[in-house]
Amino acid sequence: MSYINREIQELLVDYAEALRDGSIPVFLKSLTRVEAKTITTSSEFWDATEIVQFLNGAGFADKAVTPNVGLFISRVDAEITSRLKQATPAASSLRDKTAGTKQTSYRHKTSD
Amino acid sequence: MDTSGSERIDMNRRLRNALKGLTAPDLKRRRRAMEPFVRATFEMFIRYLYRYLGNEIECEDVLEDVYADIWENPDHLRNVTTEKQLLRTVYLYYMRKRLREVYRRINRNLYLSQQSLMNLVAPESGVLEMLSQSELQQALHRTLSKLKARERRAIELWMEGASNRAIANELKTTVGAVKMLEFRTILKLKKMLHATADEV
Repeated sequence: MSYINREIQELLVDYAEALRDGSIPVFLKSLTRVEAKTITTSSEFWDATEIVQFLNGAGFADKAVTPNVGLFISRVDAEITSRLKQATPAASSLRDKTAGTKQTSYRHKTSD
Repeated sequence: MDTSGSERIDMNRRLRNALKGLTAPDLKRRRRAMEPFVRATFEMFIRYLYRYLGNEIECEDVLEDVYADIWENPDHLRNVTTEKQLLRTVYLYYMRKRLREVYRRINRNLYLSQQSLMNLVAPESGVLEMLSQSELQQALHRTLSKLKARERRAIELWMEGASNRAIANELKTTVGAVKMLEFRTILKLKKMLHATADEV
């Protein structure tokens, strides 16, 4: 991706390669002002990206190394806990206002 | 014994039950339903996200937020009855929002407009987006067989992970010619795949 002002077919192939290799940020950073304008105004590019994404799904999604679902579930659980914690101070301050000085402690379940 | 059929029924029942729990008003029940829901949908969602990101780590990060968003606000899933409908709803209401945020920060100093970036990473869902993984494979197999030998070979090599230089060596041509061939073939594939997707 070291060319200056690539043609639309080169931009598409470079995008396809970046998507296949999981390096979209590198492709985005490689775009010059002219190339970005070329992409924005080219209907062919947008037509072709749909197929590139489709090929990526058909050709490489099955080969992707997915994590252990059990471990992933604990990540989701931790994220939910974190959101609950963020929501809790507002809720507890509201409760304190309505119920005087009553103190409440919260225990959050964490999973390993 | 046909185990694949029974597995499919079992999975659908699990998913149905998980969805029922997930759309309950009680937060604790929703949280309990999250585990079976993730187990039933994880593979489907992560492969779908992979189309747009091509990177397992980013897929995981996005999916983590997607599941937490679903737990927080599952209203859109209330009337979902099929897996296809589920995927479409999750993409439109939960995934797209998160996909838009993935590269937004790095794009601040780039030349591509935010709108173009959004179209690139989180496009409007078209006919092809809603095909399942197996339907995708079938449609692609059928379409590739209709291409010219040289076009088919270029796409097959590309899908095997070959570089443009390697494809050029295999087809005994230049890298520039390979890029042009791939570009034209991709546009040709679009027309053919849309016709095939309409049949599915």
